[in-house]
Amino acid sequence: MGSGDHAPEGIPASGAWPIHLEDVIVRYPNGVVGLRGVSLSIAAGEMVSVVGLSGSGKSTMIRTINGLVPATSGTVRVGPYTVNELGGRRLRQVRGGIGMIFQGFNLADRASIYHNVLVGRFSHTPTWKTLLGVASHTDREIVMRALDSVGMLEKVWGRAGALSGGQKQRVAIARALSQEPEVMLADEPVASLDPPTAHSVMSDLKRVNTERGLTVLVNLHLMDLARQYTTRMIGLRAGEVVYDGPASSATDADFEAIYGRPIQSRDTLGQ
Amino acid sequence: MIVVVLIAITVITTLPALGGVHIDLGAIARNWANGSERIAKLFHPDPSILPRTWKPLLETLEMAVVGAALSALLALPLSLWAARPSNPTRSRAGVRAVLNVVRAVPDLVYATILVAMVGVGALPGVITLVLFDLGIVVKLVSEAIDSADASYMEAGHAAGGTQTQINRLTALPQTWPVYASQVLYSLELNVRVSSILGLVGAGGLGRLIDEVRGFYRYGALSMIILEILVVVIAIEVASNYLRKRLR
Repeated sequence: MGSGDHAPEGIPASGAWPIHLEDVIVRYPNGVVGLRGVSLSIAAGEMVSVVGLSGSGKSTMIRTINGLVPATSGTVRVGPYTVNELGGRRLRQVRGGIGMIFQGFNLADRASIYHNVLVGRFSHTPTWKTLLGVASHTDREIVMRALDSVGMLEKVWGRAGALSGGQKQRVAIARALSQEPEVMLADEPVASLDPPTAHSVMSDLKRVNTERGLTVLVNLHLMDLARQYTTRMIGLRAGEVVYDGPASSATDADFEAIYGRPIQSRDTLGQ
Repeated sequence: MIVVVLIAITVITTLPALGGVHIDLGAIARNWANGSERIAKLFHPDPSILPRTWKPLLETLEMAVVGAALSALLALPLSLWAARPSNPTRSRAGVRAVLNVVRAVPDLVYATILVAMVGVGALPGVITLVLFDLGIVVKLVSEAIDSADASYMEAGHAAGGTQTQINRLTALPQTWPVYASQVLYSLELNVRVSSILGLVGAGGLGRLIDEVRGFYRYGALSMIILEILVVVIAIEVASNYLRKRLR
């Protein structure tokens, strides 16, 4: 991983941000309640999994952290910012410090891999420069380094749509890394991938945490991935925190409490 | 479903309140002779008109190309402004409203008014074609953007990008094939439309068509029609080839 230029290995990046949610409630315009008063604190440099069934509020919670979903009430603090009070330029500035990857990769399939990763430089680039299509030398270098760190450098001029799922998620990680973020969010990053690829993407995320020292928050629905790759686990059920503790020692009973039903074979990835 | 549509059509066309649609099949038999004579003449193209067609044909082609190019230039930002994913603000409704008006006005009306405003010739024709193409291209492209998967936009917002940045760097390449395809289609339409615009003095083949029709020279008229047909097919072949290269 070519992160050596940014932060010495093993030492948290100077800017890793803590995350604090205080009594956060999210009610969507259609009346559906996503979160029912969630409060939690995540220290800078922690690797945390958020576990729950679909519909438990995982995606909502992770999106309140970068303001993609506005909190209806409560406080969302990330590093020095109170996200729920910001809008416009300031909100974009915070988002610039928060990298995010998605279940569906969210790449522009017809654009080149280079341009997809250049998206990560948005918050550091004036709009008129993007409009004219000029990228600074530094931006190009950061993009290339990010792609190199996920092993996708040789494909840089290819179309994103031509890649396999695992490769797309690596490009998406590179896009997030090119933001040079303080926090990394991952919303079900391996749910669309086959087991071996899922493990390698989870390892990439783990390295982002250990080598760059970023605060990493990853949504998962599989218990073995949470145990294996994260140190702390937060369990969500129906928009409420029902578990918060170490991930490796979480028992099957803990998972049954989170899922609200007995463990099934599809709750683990296997291998 | 089909039955429902058929019933609906039948009911609507026969509603007494609307007066129904008067289709008198007997009229066809009574007037058949008038038309058949002309059709017979149309089947004997008169090549002697050809030398006179080259210049107006060239003018028609020029108008078609210039009109398509200018409208393409304007349509790109307008399409992005008229689609929900690439313009979530209220201004979208304004852009759409203006374009609906532009589309509602018939091209011959534009041409007639513009001929009066800027004079006889190719210029009113070109402006008419630009307006005509804008209506079509912006509508089709913005609807394509509306219905396409726009999850990449969420990633752009998550990275702290402005809508303009997201549109420029990602929505543009995503939209490109649809856009280019519609621009080529507008070029095809332009050849057909611009050969009519001459009827009101807006340049191109239309003036010649009007003249030979006025003198009942149906042979010459069919020659011109054949010529337009050849050009339209040539453009269609060329644009089909280009479209394949775009994918």
